[in-house]
Amino acid sequence: MTTPAVLGELKQLLRSCVQCGLCLPTCATWAATGNEVLSPRGRLVLMESLLAEGGKALDPGDLQAFDQCIGCRACETACPSGVPFSLFEYGKMLAAKSRRAGSLPHERLSVPNWLLHRLDRPAVLRVLKALAPLAVAAPPSVARLAQSLPTAPERDQDLMALLARLTGGGGVGPARFPRPTQDDGIEVSFFSGCANAGLMPGTSRRLAELLCGCGCLVRIPAAQGCCGALAAHTGRYSDRKRLHDQNRRAFGGNASRPWIVVEAAGCGAELKEQMDFGGAEILDATEALGRLILPTMRSVPLKVVYHAACHLEHGQQVREQPRALLRGIPGLELVEPEDAALCCGSGGVWSLEHPDLAAEIGRQKARALLDTGAQLIVTTNPGCLGQIRGALAALGEELPIIPLSDLIWYACMT
Amino acid sequence: MDKVVNLLERLQAVLGTGGLLTDTASRRVYARDASHFQLGLPVAVTLPGNGNEVSKVLALCAAAQVPVVCRGTGTGLSGGALTPEGCVVLGSGRLRDLGPLAVAQRSIHVEPGVLNESVSRRCRAMGLEFAPDPSSQAAATIGGNIAENAGGPHCLRHGVTLQHVRRLEWCDASGRPFLTGRGLSVERGLDLVSLLCGSEGTLGVITGADLALIPVGSAVRTMLAVFPVLDEAVNSAVALIGSGLLPVAIEIVDQTMLGAVEEAFGFGFPTDVAAAMIVEFSGNEAAVEADAASAQSVLTSGGAREVTLAGDEQERAALWRCRKKAFGAVGRLAPKYVTMDVVVPLGQLPQLVRDIQAIKARFKVEIATAFHAGDGNLHPGIHYDDQDPEQTKSAHAAAEAIILRAMSLGGSCTGEHGVGIEKLAVVSRMLDPVTASLQQGIKDVFDPAGLLNPGKMLPALDAEYAAAAVVPAQLRIDWESLTVTAPADLPVAEMQAALMERGLWVPVGAWLPGKGGQWGLARAGTVGDLVMDLVPGPGLGAWGAVRDLILELWAETGDGRLFHTGAPVYKNVAGYSLAQALCGSGGVFARPRAATFQLRPVPPSLGLWVCEHPDGGADRRNLLPLFKALRAHQNAFPGRVAILETDGERLQGPLIMLVPGTDRPWDLGALAAVLKSEREKIGCRCLRHEVLTFAGSVDQLAREKVLPQWASSAPTWTTLTQRLEDQDAGIDDMPWAARRILCQFSPRICWLPETAVSDRNWHADIIRHRGHRTELPVPTGEVPLAILRGLKNLFDPQGKLSRPGWLVP
Repeated sequence: MTTPAVLGELKQLLRSCVQCGLCLPTCATWAATGNEVLSPRGRLVLMESLLAEGGKALDPGDLQAFDQCIGCRACETACPSGVPFSLFEYGKMLAAKSRRAGSLPHERLSVPNWLLHRLDRPAVLRVLKALAPLAVAAPPSVARLAQSLPTAPERDQDLMALLARLTGGGGVGPARFPRPTQDDGIEVSFFSGCANAGLMPGTSRRLAELLCGCGCLVRIPAAQGCCGALAAHTGRYSDRKRLHDQNRRAFGGNASRPWIVVEAAGCGAELKEQMDFGGAEILDATEALGRLILPTMRSVPLKVVYHAACHLEHGQQVREQPRALLRGIPGLELVEPEDAALCCGSGGVWSLEHPDLAAEIGRQKARALLDTGAQLIVTTNPGCLGQIRGALAALGEELPIIPLSDLIWYACMT
Repeated sequence: MDKVVNLLERLQAVLGTGGLLTDTASRRVYARDASHFQLGLPVAVTLPGNGNEVSKVLALCAAAQVPVVCRGTGTGLSGGALTPEGCVVLGSGRLRDLGPLAVAQRSIHVEPGVLNESVSRRCRAMGLEFAPDPSSQAAATIGGNIAENAGGPHCLRHGVTLQHVRRLEWCDASGRPFLTGRGLSVERGLDLVSLLCGSEGTLGVITGADLALIPVGSAVRTMLAVFPVLDEAVNSAVALIGSGLLPVAIEIVDQTMLGAVEEAFGFGFPTDVAAAMIVEFSGNEAAVEADAASAQSVLTSGGAREVTLAGDEQERAALWRCRKKAFGAVGRLAPKYVTMDVVVPLGQLPQLVRDIQAIKARFKVEIATAFHAGDGNLHPGIHYDDQDPEQTKSAHAAAEAIILRAMSLGGSCTGEHGVGIEKLAVVSRMLDPVTASLQQGIKDVFDPAGLLNPGKMLPALDAEYAAAAVVPAQLRIDWESLTVTAPADLPVAEMQAALMERGLWVPVGAWLPGKGGQWGLARAGTVGDLVMDLVPGPGLGAWGAVRDLILELWAETGDGRLFHTGAPVYKNVAGYSLAQALCGSGGVFARPRAATFQLRPVPPSLGLWVCEHPDGGADRRNLLPLFKALRAHQNAFPGRVAILETDGERLQGPLIMLVPGTDRPWDLGALAAVLKSEREKIGCRCLRHEVLTFAGSVDQLAREKVLPQWASSAPTWTTLTQRLEDQDAGIDDMPWAARRILCQFSPRICWLPETAVSDRNWHADIIRHRGHRTELPVPTGEVPLAILRGLKNLFDPQGKLSRPGWLVP
């Protein structure tokens, strides 16, 4: 199933692991279970026999370990020896195919397969969002699911009211839409991603406004589709390819602009890794904002904890820009949680495929975020936002979490 | 097979879901660790969730006669956690409770699966940290650190793991739980903590530990020096230590290692130099500033091309990250490496480094070396391609040559990585036959069926051993390596006097014994007494008990077998820490014949304050704010001693304070300011304040009768140290009913010339009661009596060594 040349290359890559174990503490599945089979080094030990057998697992446990890998890539950042994540991707690909073929034992799913495979459609997400309020009366597993749906205030007034309440500020006026900071603004294409488009359209709109406020000329290609990450997560590689083609048409060609600004960290990682739009540079929203001159920011006297989305921190190696943006807000105190490098357990649809493990990982992350004593959580990925929101709800805690770009919008535009 | 199936069923019943792994994938994963060896597959992996489950797992395995291998995160480099075929792995992955933290006692309770770095992260906000910092600290567990007696760069100043473990909860091979150590600052008796720490899981299984924490320096200076010549870097490290400076760490990486690190992290190191050195100082702002300046001139005159200071905390962290991840980065050079862990007396380090270059040329191998240069510990890593049989052969031959060379220079084959299976072939050459049989005997006492980590650490009986021990007959001082070897019958006074000629001493006991070594507080008569009685002494500038300073011991068992244990090096984990364990055992297990100790620079000055309340006698409670202020500053001014004379409620005589340090505005000068302001608040007059030269000052004060007579000559006294589990009770809970007290604030110990009338919150421990039988205090927790009896029988089968009142059950 895998060509000998590819196998040979993977074997060579595998030899770069010196088994030092420094990856363990950055792996969320290891941290949640204490089981080394669910650690990066453990998975690489199993990879040895997978490669020896030409990609066929002798033991179902071999593929299960990769199936349970969230794909956060924190281990890649931690690895001093430079073991590439492509090894894990190979393992995850085998596991996803095996799961799709029904030959991989796994936890019960929290949503049926037919739905799982359609979560990259904004329309489906809009329906789920509409149904979510009804889930209060549903069985606990469904209720938990509904609580984990990424949400953000749709109306600007609601966002402003939330932040005004947290900062103890007075009345909330309308958004001020300051004059663009630059006249010769850069032309950007805007990639909002299916979760933002379906579940958090207000956030997408505000980010586009913010870019305009910085003088950008923003184009939002209507023909854009999902980035393809979710299709890959669920082993639908032909769907992924189709989506890539669709986006290439929507963003490429003559319509190509210097920047493609991606709203969600997960989409950005997939696009940067898999796509090439010729001259256009793919930028996470925080990277783009970091390069622009922002409107004068208002003071936001809040203790804010930043949850670094793995797909930004590790997947795209974008670390400084989001923190710099937050530090740039007057009055804001930025804090980081204990074990900040650990994934929250979202991983696209991973949390739906591994509900129990994801709940435990989410619980630990929520605990760490709460322990900082922050008044607000911000993050850059809708998946993380939903997962943390659900985990906080499961603990019975009320700590607001909003997209980082919404906070910047609030500071700059109100 | 039925036996195994039966065992697995029982284990499953104890451990529940997630606690027992028997699938092939799990067994394969747990068969490996960071060493590049492999033994066999375990039958199962157990991940108990609490101490009780550990105990049950051990009991079930013992009943089924199945061996048990403990494992933390498998970061060990010597193969200590590898699995013999058919064993059960006892993993600490779910034993990760951390806390509570007792700030006043500078102690924290941890389960064995807690990661080293998590401990310091948890404590740092309170100004405390856990000193041992092996390079693997981000991933290594405390259980593993204890089992291997781990070191790390910062152990240069603060000592290895053993010196930071106060108390252990552990189970023997049959699963019986014990609590060893009372968590006191000073503790005597055969020290089982010393035996367990560094025993590589062959004696017992740790289920919890109270760790000692150290204060974080208020200021840190981290310097990077680059050298065009490797030898000059090494010589400079020796010169730095010899200069009397006390850096917390001195690390060197050679050019090859530097190249790999630079490729991995892009720190911006120059890669055209032969070596880079990291030197770190920690303490108060002005002191580290001055130390860094002195160090800079030592390094520059030693041949450093450039010396730069880390600009900020971020730069400092990046420097250490590069150093600590250096070994992983070596993976970029070649697919395999063999890492050595040799340690030599510091004075021999330059020679060893030259010899390694010769070995490198002879075997035509590539070597990347990281050094803990300050304590003579080297990690040469030979990297090779394991698919090339020639390279593989040369790599291992060169490694053996390096290890043998280090041992022939008086060093040890392992300073911190442990013996495991990797060094079984060479470790025997460091042990004489009697020591080897005692080590095996200790193993048999703890684990008669040989089920705990079999095949590790202890060499085979028919291995090649060292020659029989020869006791050094005379005082031997190695000025370059900063060690002293002294026969047991030598008066401590003579040893210290000889050392003080060059400004060094064995930092125990401030009251320098006079010629003839008459008895007095901390005036141990002979070197043998010092070792066997674990004389603590009010530690003016001291670094701890003798146990923390002893490196080597020659002793005789009760039936006259002479043995030698340890090596004259600052770090050594080749075998059980027998010298440390016997230290303080009262001579009822073995008679000491000679010992080697670490040396430290003598503090230059001694600050003296004599204070008195205006009305001549104060309510003792009035002094509380003063003591509290002193305690608040104890991080900055260690080793403070106060002498009080009280009569119950009233303070009778003057309050005398003695503090070692330097006569500089930021040191004793700063303390003077603190004392002055606190003293004035309570209306206390200062009758006398001066700064004396440390050496000789105590004798001078005794002549002037500043020191009370009893402090230097009373034959009997009691030490009180505060119990660990107490909350910060404060000075008010000291046994004030005693008429005279000598108290030390760090560690918190009191000495009384007579028995304390109240031991509420305090633990009385007799140091010496000449000619009288005294009752020993009852230790808390369950004492492994059978083990103590077994050890007594091992060392003194005919019961010839006895001493009234000493810990012989």
